[in-house]
Amino acid sequence: MPVQTRTVSAMCGVALTIGSQRRAMSGALDDIKVIEYAEMVSGPICGKMFSDLGAEVIKIEAPGAGDPARQYPPFPDDQPHPEKSGMFLYLNTGKKSLTLDPATPAGGEVFKRLISKADFLIENHPAGFLERIGLPYPALHALNPRLIVVSITPFGQTGPYRDWKGSDLIEWAMSLTGYNTPTLIDDGERENPLRAPGHIADMMGGTNAAAAAMMALFQRELTGDGQWIDAPCWQATVNTSKIEMAAYSYLGIPFSRMRGQTLVGLEPMACRDGYVYTLWAADSHYQALKKLLGNPDGLDTELFDTLAGRQQNDDVLRLVIREELKKHDMKYLVDEGQKLGLTIGPVYKVSQAANHPHLAARDAFVAIEHPVAGRFLFPRQMVSMTATPAIPSRAPMLGEHNKEILDRLAIPREDQHGLHAAGVI
Amino acid sequence: MAPLPLEGIRVADFSWIINGPQIAQWLATMGAEVIKIESQVYIDIGRINPAGMADGKPGPNRNGFYHMLNYGKKAINLNLGTPKGYDLACDLIRKSDLVIECFPRPVSERLNLTYARIKAVKPDIVMISVSLLGKTGTEPSSWVGWGPMACCFAGMFDAQGYPGGPPRQTGGTWPDYAIASAVVFHTLAALRHRKRTGEGQWIDASMGETVISQMNEWFMDYFMNHRDRGQWGNRDAMMAPHNTYKCKGEDRWIAIAVSNDAEWNALCAVALHPEWARDARFVDRAARLNHREEIDALLRDWTRSHDHRELAATLQRVGVPAGPVLDSVELHEDSHLWKWGYWMKMAHHEVGERIIPGMPVKMSNVPELNYSMPPDVGQHNREIFGGLLGLSDAEIQTLMEQKVIY
Repeated sequence: MPVQTRTVSAMCGVALTIGSQRRAMSGALDDIKVIEYAEMVSGPICGKMFSDLGAEVIKIEAPGAGDPARQYPPFPDDQPHPEKSGMFLYLNTGKKSLTLDPATPAGGEVFKRLISKADFLIENHPAGFLERIGLPYPALHALNPRLIVVSITPFGQTGPYRDWKGSDLIEWAMSLTGYNTPTLIDDGERENPLRAPGHIADMMGGTNAAAAAMMALFQRELTGDGQWIDAPCWQATVNTSKIEMAAYSYLGIPFSRMRGQTLVGLEPMACRDGYVYTLWAADSHYQALKKLLGNPDGLDTELFDTLAGRQQNDDVLRLVIREELKKHDMKYLVDEGQKLGLTIGPVYKVSQAANHPHLAARDAFVAIEHPVAGRFLFPRQMVSMTATPAIPSRAPMLGEHNKEILDRLAIPREDQHGLHAAGVI
Repeated sequence: MAPLPLEGIRVADFSWIINGPQIAQWLATMGAEVIKIESQVYIDIGRINPAGMADGKPGPNRNGFYHMLNYGKKAINLNLGTPKGYDLACDLIRKSDLVIECFPRPVSERLNLTYARIKAVKPDIVMISVSLLGKTGTEPSSWVGWGPMACCFAGMFDAQGYPGGPPRQTGGTWPDYAIASAVVFHTLAALRHRKRTGEGQWIDASMGETVISQMNEWFMDYFMNHRDRGQWGNRDAMMAPHNTYKCKGEDRWIAIAVSNDAEWNALCAVALHPEWARDARFVDRAARLNHREEIDALLRDWTRSHDHRELAATLQRVGVPAGPVLDSVELHEDSHLWKWGYWMKMAHHEVGERIIPGMPVKMSNVPELNYSMPPDVGQHNREIFGGLLGLSDAEIQTLMEQKVIY
């Protein structure tokens, strides 16, 4: 399927050179300096949010292989290559790459010089790791009292699970939102809880960290002091189930993922040419759905006219609605249903979403050229802004900015060669 | 004690239900003065949702769903459908730094809460609009919907499910919470930009675009290879075993994610199956990825006689990433969430002591966030209309009778 290519210039009103790493307009954070000593997803998405708004983000990667995300698919034509991972290229837009091992004495010294001039250090190593390599928070604070250290971990810096190993699957599955995926199961023996497509727990942990980091920047304006942020991915995921928490804490009703608990739709349902998603909790929604389906005989009963009636007769009602939906096209159901005030949406494939004119009209995707990987569309924005929009530019090649950054730190060339020979950079 | 991060920032908050209130809660707990504008004409669903009514007794101040999303704020009543009500809203906006609204586009237009109108009232305002798919663009900008509908539009439900099966729903309303912290980050950047340049702006946040960002691997696969990646279930590109496995008891599960040989060998030792570690099919990561179904079958047979929490703790003790799938009781009693400081006990004047969630981050210079009690309906009418907007008690009384402050 052809992929439509657009530029962000229409939105910004300024010509942009996305392929280069130069930006033609200033971002909201273009005076901010960030050191990102992080890998995979949770730390890098936090750093990306800064770099997309104009901050200088220096990404510290392990000498040799670099960020493990470089090994992570997708790759063009499924051919693994450290400069071509779609996930890495997405998560690291606009950053500079410095290969450095801060755990070595010489590397630690370079690291200290970097953070002495930085506003933020973003890291996602296991709790206690910085301390073990001789860079505990108090030492970092002494070195640069204005530094804001953002630590992203699976479970947090304190508490009984502090040293537990996590992963996106685990941080997701341990929350009620994860337990509830997929929603509405019939068989509690065979339908095991599933991870969502992607690294949602890691992304939410990193996004919460970014929000807290900006809070710390505002507080620094008031106090002059930096601080340490503890942003765990599990708590981020747990926090997404407040409806279920309220039901338990206020009514004593424990969550169950079995069908029969939630009775008002809430599942993709087949129509003639795909699937739609809707719910019929409110009376007005049920009446709209009935009208949308042409007042079919199966719904011609007062039994379903109240929420209680719909819940008590859920098995019958659901069967009728399933059969009726199959008689209609997705486009009719969604367009007409929305006009009737029904919350109904299309269950699109990724290819359908990627080519949807609405997303094109919002410049939701942007083409970015990379010297090794090539030119591809990327999701452009997490959140759109009119005056200082996110402007992602290409991700760095491994160690691409070593010389530039070490020169700037006034490390003599011969010392740079020595660090390189010793495997520190 | 250090001032809270957002001290001195005022927010006129027209939002309701989940995503807007969660944004406002980030701001309120961090020290902003959040004034939530509510109306008896359209009462916040959070106040009336049956699934949150304390002990099943109705009452707009008794709802846990509302409490958990609205502590730290002030609440006033204002009927925006009346000219005087709209004027008072504009007075409040003139005294505010931020405006939040999360109505569907046609409703924002009907209530005159569009960016164009608000900007005319206060030119340097930073305005946050949160909606299903954004308020510009084509027809879907007028759709009504909630978090899960952003997932269905963005391709997530099609990619959710058991490989080869039908599309399934991803749990709950997580997009509302995911977009909330993303919006907070961008909003503070916008406020900072305003401080430097005097220029305000509009944050037109689309839950659909946040979901796309979160499942970027699927979109990048499409853009790079022109295909729909489809459902991966619990499969991971780099880890095997990587799945949830049935444990002892009804609907009990454990999640296990092994990324290297050391973790695999430790798991085999705990399972009392050292021969798995020597098996050529599982000897290194590549081999395990190629035989993930066989591993899953072996692990399923092993885990089903074990308690999910005990087994996870045992595996973690030897360095194997594992976690129990927790039910409501286990989650609310979880010692880590209590000791880390996520759960709090709130003593509320109408519903008594309840467990509620705190914010999911901690900051070393913010020992105590603003966790003031979730407001009763209209609790701050006198403080805001009298104190901030300068109306007399008599004027307030009249406006109440005229159902303007209503």
